[in-house]
Amino acid sequence: MATEFVTAIKPGEIRPGAITAIDVRGTRVAVANVGGTYYAFDDTCTHEQCSLAEEGELAGTTVTCTCHGSEFDLRTGKVLAPPATVPVKVYPVQVAGDTLKIEV
Amino acid sequence: MARRFVIIGASLAGATAAITLSEEGTEEALTLIGAEHEPPYERPPLSKAYLRGETPFDKALVRPAAFYAERGIETMFGTRVTRIDPSTRCVELEDRRRVPFDALLIATGGRNRPVSIPGADLEGIYGLRTVRDADRIRHEIVAGRRVVVVGMGFIGSEVAASLRQKGLHVVAIDHSKTPLFRVLGEAVGQTLADLHHAHGVLTVFEDTVAVFEGTGRVSCVVTKGGRRLECDFVVVGIGIEPAVEMLDGSGIVVDNGVVVDEHCETNVAGVYAAGDVANHYHPIFDRRIRVEHWHNAIKQGAAAARNMLGQRVVYDEIHWFWSDQYDANLQYAGFHTTWDQLVVRGRLDSGSYLACYVTDGRINAAVGLNRAKDIRRVMPLIKSRRAVDLEQLRDEGVDLRSLLASPMES
Repeated sequence: MATEFVTAIKPGEIRPGAITAIDVRGTRVAVANVGGTYYAFDDTCTHEQCSLAEEGELAGTTVTCTCHGSEFDLRTGKVLAPPATVPVKVYPVQVAGDTLKIEV
Repeated sequence: MARRFVIIGASLAGATAAITLSEEGTEEALTLIGAEHEPPYERPPLSKAYLRGETPFDKALVRPAAFYAERGIETMFGTRVTRIDPSTRCVELEDRRRVPFDALLIATGGRNRPVSIPGADLEGIYGLRTVRDADRIRHEIVAGRRVVVVGMGFIGSEVAASLRQKGLHVVAIDHSKTPLFRVLGEAVGQTLADLHHAHGVLTVFEDTVAVFEGTGRVSCVVTKGGRRLECDFVVVGIGIEPAVEMLDGSGIVVDNGVVVDEHCETNVAGVYAAGDVANHYHPIFDRRIRVEHWHNAIKQGAAAARNMLGQRVVYDEIHWFWSDQYDANLQYAGFHTTWDQLVVRGRLDSGSYLACYVTDGRINAAVGLNRAKDIRRVMPLIKSRRAVDLEQLRDEGVDLRSLLASPMES
């Protein structure tokens, strides 16, 4: 199935420094607000399935899964610290007016 | 000629050091020697997902087996070092071969404490340290069988949880009043006893094993208190001792492991130690600490490697570990041996709390049950060594991060 941008959430619903999980076409996607820039990524940590929206701690564009300490770069999904070894999937985000769209 | 780096112990600490050296070094020749036959692997899954058969061994490998050759790292797995000779800068292998080094890292870890109880040589009694140990236990796992777990430290507690999850009948025995009593104290330990009870583990506290009985194979654990615990097999988790016998006669100082400074260096220049085996000087707590956990193996392995490269980095990590039991996530950060106040956020009987071990108003350590974020946020407070407002620490309405921003007036 081709990917497309799907209207997901109003940007104002996510506080700066917060992460919210939403369902986008059956995929649980986490959206982080980093100083007004939004990043979307799989909500499930690739290490042991913790929810990054619930257990994730943001520092800049790095999210730490506090369950076991794995760190990911939200811009690329790259693993910055173990125990995770598999990158987290990231999704392109578009903000159009008061709508935040995520490409899934 | 290129400098020769030798690492003994193909452990998580040893492998992490090798990876760091290969990434940050330039011309050095690197040899990684390990007694186990497998490439370096992580041990946390051995008592949890791997033991339960939920994840393959490959997932526990620090790097894929081919990685080391690709990086030009010479490996000698299944090879034991018997002696270190600092005067000739060589390590000696069990076949008497000698491997020269310019800088050496000792990352030999530990081995299970010997069990000096009558009947300990019966079949069906297992320790858990290596993947082979885990495989032996896995062969015994059949729902409905009866196991006695001896020792309710971290390994015993995790094994008890995993075996309950696989449908075995579990009786756990420990000489203390609660699981993890020595580290965490009675109040926190009791919450962990409650957790195991809620999942159907039967516990025997303040009692010890007098004898393992059986004909060829263990069939009953008899306690000093006179209990007879019938069983199909036994797992013993009574701790490890550092693997240091190859240091005999080397002049390298050993005292509860290999003694190293804040640069991970021993009393012999150019010889370093990291991981479970290293009793390291910790500048934040101003004392020596030996830590047997995953995070320390990685961080100290990397720090030792950087010091081998001459970077002179100080190793001052706040020690941290997790222990997943059933669906509960237990984490600990810091270091403490005693405390004059246990300050709790949340309620100990609620299944979700952060308990801080406080002395003179300072948090030395904290343990969290299902409080992953709080643990992360309390770590800077521990590292700051500053007195904190204990009322605010207790107050769930106060963000722990704000306590660092506004320290107590003193």
